[in-house]
Amino acid sequence: MAFLPDLSVDIGGLKIKNPVITASGTFGYGNELTPFYDPSLLGAIIVKGLSLKPIPGNPPPRIAETPCGLLNAIGLANIGIKAFIEERLPSLVKIKAPIITNIYGHNIKEYAEIAKRIEKVDRIAAIEINISCPNVEEGGMAFGTDPDTAAKVTNQVVKNTTKPVIVKLTPNVTDITIIAKAVESAGAQAISVTNTIMGMAVDVTTRRPKLTNIIGGLSGPAIKPIALYLVHKVVANVRIPVIGLGGIMDYHDALEFLLVGARAIQVGTANLINPKAAMEIVNGLTDFCMREKIGNINEIIGSLKTK
Amino acid sequence: MNKMLEEVVSIEFNRQIGKDTCLLGFRSASLASLAKPGQFLMIHSGRETKDPLLRRPFSIHRIQDRNKLMMLYRIVGKGTSLLSALKENDPISVIGPLGNGFALPRPNEPSLVMAGGMGIAPLFFLTQVLKRVQKHKIKMFLGFPTSQEAVLIDQLKDLNIDLSLTTEDGSLGIKGLVTDLLDQYLGQELTNKPVIYACGPTPMLKKIAQKAIKSRLRCYVSLEGYMACGLGLCQGCAVKAANNKGKPYYYVCQDGPVFSAEMIDWEVM
Ligand SMILES: Cc1cc2nc3c(=O)[nH]c(=O)nc-3n(C[C@H](O)[C@H](O)[C@H](O)COP(=O)(O)OP(=O)(O)OC[C@H]3O[C@@H](n4cnc5c(N)ncnc54)[C@H](O)[C@@H]3O)c2cc1C
Ligand SMILES: Cc1cc2nc3c(=O)[nH]c(=O)nc-3n(C[C@H](O)[C@H](O)[C@H](O)COP(=O)(O)O)c2cc1C
Ligand code: FES
Repeated sequence: MAFLPDLSVDIGGLKIKNPVITASGTFGYGNELTPFYDPSLLGAIIVKGLSLKPIPGNPPPRIAETPCGLLNAIGLANIGIKAFIEERLPSLVKIKAPIITNIYGHNIKEYAEIAKRIEKVDRIAAIEINISCPNVEEGGMAFGTDPDTAAKVTNQVVKNTTKPVIVKLTPNVTDITIIAKAVESAGAQAISVTNTIMGMAVDVTTRRPKLTNIIGGLSGPAIKPIALYLVHKVVANVRIPVIGLGGIMDYHDALEFLLVGARAIQVGTANLINPKAAMEIVNGLTDFCMREKIGNINEIIGSLKTK
Repeated sequence: MNKMLEEVVSIEFNRQIGKDTCLLGFRSASLASLAKPGQFLMIHSGRETKDPLLRRPFSIHRIQDRNKLMMLYRIVGKGTSLLSALKENDPISVIGPLGNGFALPRPNEPSLVMAGGMGIAPLFFLTQVLKRVQKHKIKMFLGFPTSQEAVLIDQLKDLNIDLSLTTEDGSLGIKGLVTDLLDQYLGQELTNKPVIYACGPTPMLKKIAQKAIKSRLRCYVSLEGYMACGLGLCQGCAVKAANNKGKPYYYVCQDGPVFSAEMIDWEVM
């Protein structure tokens, strides 16, 4: 009888049974993939980014494929926090995995307001703050590109909730460690690295950008080396747990992030292509630990050999 | 929630049947038993590959012998040219059936099926089913750029429907567009108003939809949108909704791909 390895990890007070989480914007509102498998098997699920009011999103085309990558300009289209809590959350009762809401606001007050609403909802286990979006009051520059603004947003959310707060960083900055340290000081219990990398693609026959929005965020295998590098840098500069993501397609990719020091990982674009990707990564990690006689996944985390 | 599944199947045949046009067949009793006309499949190479990264959407083109499914596709880019190179017994990964499918006509309501180019892909399946469930009239307007792209003419003739053919260069059938035929048709006195089913290039659908709305005809169009997942996960496949206050966009993979003409904001299409 083979032993079952312990895959559980603790991310800033949120204990999850395995380190596999779905990434915001690639897992709908939580139950779209139930025809394929039971999301209860996952460590946690993060749903589509939610704002205070519904957001229509950008005009199409919103997506374009690039070599090994996906460019998207969805424009944060979502049904809003109220509709999520009232209409979608009840249909997730059968899902036993913790549900994390990814949130974003047009200004700092909106972030605080969403946090207050979520605080009252027991079923939501934690909050992930998306700070990659434009700060409308400050001329549209992303909250996550300025350490002071990033810290203020974090602080406002932390003040208004008792739930663990994860801050999801944007890679589109000169030095990600400055932002990471700023949000850690502001009270974040964990950090997700990374959101999408700004990019664009052009159709040479029409001489038009492939996205109506002109620019978009790149995800998928194309960004994995960059994401790993960013996780490596952030892990070396903060004490709070780091959740790694960017181009993870299988358990091998997940292991790379864990070795570099990520406490957990998120599966994004992979869900869109292989609906069972996240579940297969859980199974792959389990089998790997059994094969390698690793009793506890924490033995792998941060065990990168550099000498 | 629709019943859907993911299966790796082996290709039974994959052959060119017209200029840049291929017909692919595979067996899956479970997919065949679930599929309705107008629904689609998301296809990826059955072998691990990261380029092309995303699955590609294709309509269910035909179902035969209760367990054989066919796709009809045009080679337009990387994904479809790689697909066309696959051989008998090669694996492909299929997710489906996805989307809503066509609403069938009311009893005694004649149908007018309008296909432009690859638009015939889902409409062939629809016509097969209409023929089976509906004993009365099916009229089809079918258009291709030239006779080289024209496919399935014999099979459609076998279905015994009232078929009119157009090509843009006049190399086969009537010279012009299927929408020209619609103009003539709507110019006549119609005793029994038909329901229109249309699929093809967006400019064609726009013309048909706008005419149908004006003539107060029921009209269903099957739209193509850029899709990353086909499963309602990414919100990539947006189309602008017409005067729909609650919902500014529909999602082709969830709300469609078949829409009633008046649901769509055709001005921006
Ligand atoms: C619901 C649905 C059903 C479809 N059914 C069929 C079918 O039965 N037969 C068929 O031949 N095609 C069908 N298509 C279109 C088909 O999915 C695209 O032609 C295919 O994805 C192109 O892939 P590619 O890698 O070869 O081209 P790419 O390299 O991705 O692109 C090549 C060219 O095709 C265009 N294109 C790419 N994707 C789409 C798309 N989703 N819609 C419109 N244009 C696109 C691009 O603008 C580009 O000009 C369907 C699309 C949808 C959304
Ligand atoms: C279609 C799409 C929508 C996304 N929406 C969100 C979002 O609402 N909020 C967010 O923080 N990140 C969003 N992301 C970013 C992903 O969560 C993830 O950070 C990124 O895609 C990198 O991971 P991946 O390569 O595994 O996809 C989105 C990504 C994609 C592809
Ligand atoms: S294609 Fe992803 S939601 Fe429709």
